[in-house]
Amino acid sequence: MIRLQKVEKIYRRGAETVRALRGVDLEIHSGEFAAVTGPSGAGKTTLLHIVGCLDTPGRGEVLFDGVSVDGWTDKKLTRLRREKIGFVFQQFYLIPGLSVADNIALPLLFRKQKPDKDRIATLARMVGLENRTRHVPAALSGGEMQRTAIARALVNRPEIILADEPTGNLDSKNSEKIFDILKGLNRSGLTVLMITHNANLAARADRIIRIKDGMVEA
Amino acid sequence: MSGLMKLAVQNLFRHRTRSLLTMLGIGAAVAVLFSVLSFNRGFEAGLERELKGTGLHFMVVPSGCAHEVAALVLHGAVIPKFLEAGVIDDVNRAEGVSLATPILVAQMPNPQGGRIDLIYGVETAMLPDIKPDWEITGAYPAAANELLLGYNVALHNGITPGDGIRYPGVEGVFTVTGIVAQTGSQDDAFIYMDIREAQAILQHPGGATAVGVKLTDPVRMQEVIEGLESRVPGIQIVTMGQVMNSVSTVAASARSLSLAVALVALIIGTVGVMNAILMAVFERTQEIGMMRAIGASRWDIFRIILKETALLTMVGGIAGILIAAAGSTLIEGFVRRVMPYMPTGEMLRFEPLLAMGCVLFAMTIGLLAGFYPAWKASRINPIEAIKG
Repeated sequence: MIRLQKVEKIYRRGAETVRALRGVDLEIHSGEFAAVTGPSGAGKTTLLHIVGCLDTPGRGEVLFDGVSVDGWTDKKLTRLRREKIGFVFQQFYLIPGLSVADNIALPLLFRKQKPDKDRIATLARMVGLENRTRHVPAALSGGEMQRTAIARALVNRPEIILADEPTGNLDSKNSEKIFDILKGLNRSGLTVLMITHNANLAARADRIIRIKDGMVEA
Repeated sequence: MSGLMKLAVQNLFRHRTRSLLTMLGIGAAVAVLFSVLSFNRGFEAGLERELKGTGLHFMVVPSGCAHEVAALVLHGAVIPKFLEAGVIDDVNRAEGVSLATPILVAQMPNPQGGRIDLIYGVETAMLPDIKPDWEITGAYPAAANELLLGYNVALHNGITPGDGIRYPGVEGVFTVTGIVAQTGSQDDAFIYMDIREAQAILQHPGGATAVGVKLTDPVRMQEVIEGLESRVPGIQIVTMGQVMNSVSTVAASARSLSLAVALVALIIGTVGVMNAILMAVFERTQEIGMMRAIGASRWDIFRIILKETALLTMVGGIAGILIAAAGSTLIEGFVRRVMPYMPTGEMLRFEPLLAMGCVLFAMTIGLLAGFYPAWKASRINPIEAIKG
């Protein structure tokens, strides 16, 4: 589904040059649940951003469904993200003044689509927030906020969910809930790539991708 | 409400105090702008109305200050100068003059009424020609001892047609034959008297402060004026257009200053809008990054920020119009106290088109101010933003 070929990423941090990814070859298969693990600064998030077409590699190539996205315009990459990729972040990034339902519907705005109430209700029910759709984020617990973010990631019917430490800000009980939801989505056919520091959760993924010093360990 | 608009509204509500203060800044500027423009239009309309009310094409007055002349024509000011006795005959003889009437304006103590009356000495028989728009209750004076009263004089002193008025040093009683219906102009404040009686009372036989002239063919005005000025010394001729220009020039400097203040206020308000929106963009960097990540294009982000700016300036502008409309009486009262001349009638009126124009102008300037923050927001790098 997504293939990275000899991907390099170098960026500058002040006076320092950081080689975030060094010749990464990686394939994410359709329908798999992969966990990305590794120490802080190993290049996990950079990898996720490149897989999610948020960033472009300095060298190497990214192929999405067999098509190279090399040289694509920002507009084209934005459309790809909008239509095929769902993002879940550690900090949730919900919009404070919008209700749960409106937050879930947010990506539809950028697709010039009217919110499909049935779809939003279905997603809210799927993540266990059917009674919280009118609440604003400030009235939610951390777990509920992340479940809202997952529903938001799903509203455009993506092919893959990219989750950057989705349980990083949650207690173990809520972490389990979030993982179960992601696992359930994967069982229904969705591809999931999740960065995690939680070894227990990673162990329950189909595959563990270990990254160290910008390289994928065999 | 569209989704992006809902988002824009919600963003403004997130920082209510800041949004409110920014709107108030724009509102104050729009209120000043609307008031100045509305006043401007009211002033010009009032001036034109008053000049038309004189029913004359030009006035012949003793040489002097143009502003004095304007005051005489518009308000019947008492000027301590008189035309030479022969001037009236010279004007009457001039070709193209259909009517020339001497006017003597003076103040006269009225011990009987405990007031000072403003006397307008004129050929009373010519009043219907000079003031064709007047409506009279009663009749025009037909004899030397008959008077016509302006609306306010009659109203404030409870005088009705048939009543008598005495003046010191004058034998006999003047009889009021008619009252002029309210004109809304200075005409309401005069007592109209036969000019010969006025000259006798003021002990200026043959004296006149002005000669009002009506032409057979107004197209020939310049020709008639040049002829008179070359033949008759010591006179000044002012057309109604010149009076209007003269008063307009005096008022124009005040108006220009007010307009400049309004524009400066609007610029300050606009800078306030830019500052507020820019702050909001910086505060929402991560959120904008997230939106870019989940599929918002640069144009989407640009539009959200621009909609916020449009909303701020539109609501601020409407608030400004409401403030101006609510405070119009106060503003007009203040301006009347400080301006040397103001036409009678309402100067500040709510004109929907002008109000809409002011709001649109504020929105346009506001939108221009919003371009930079919107462009800045649209260039936010989602990766940098999400990393924080």
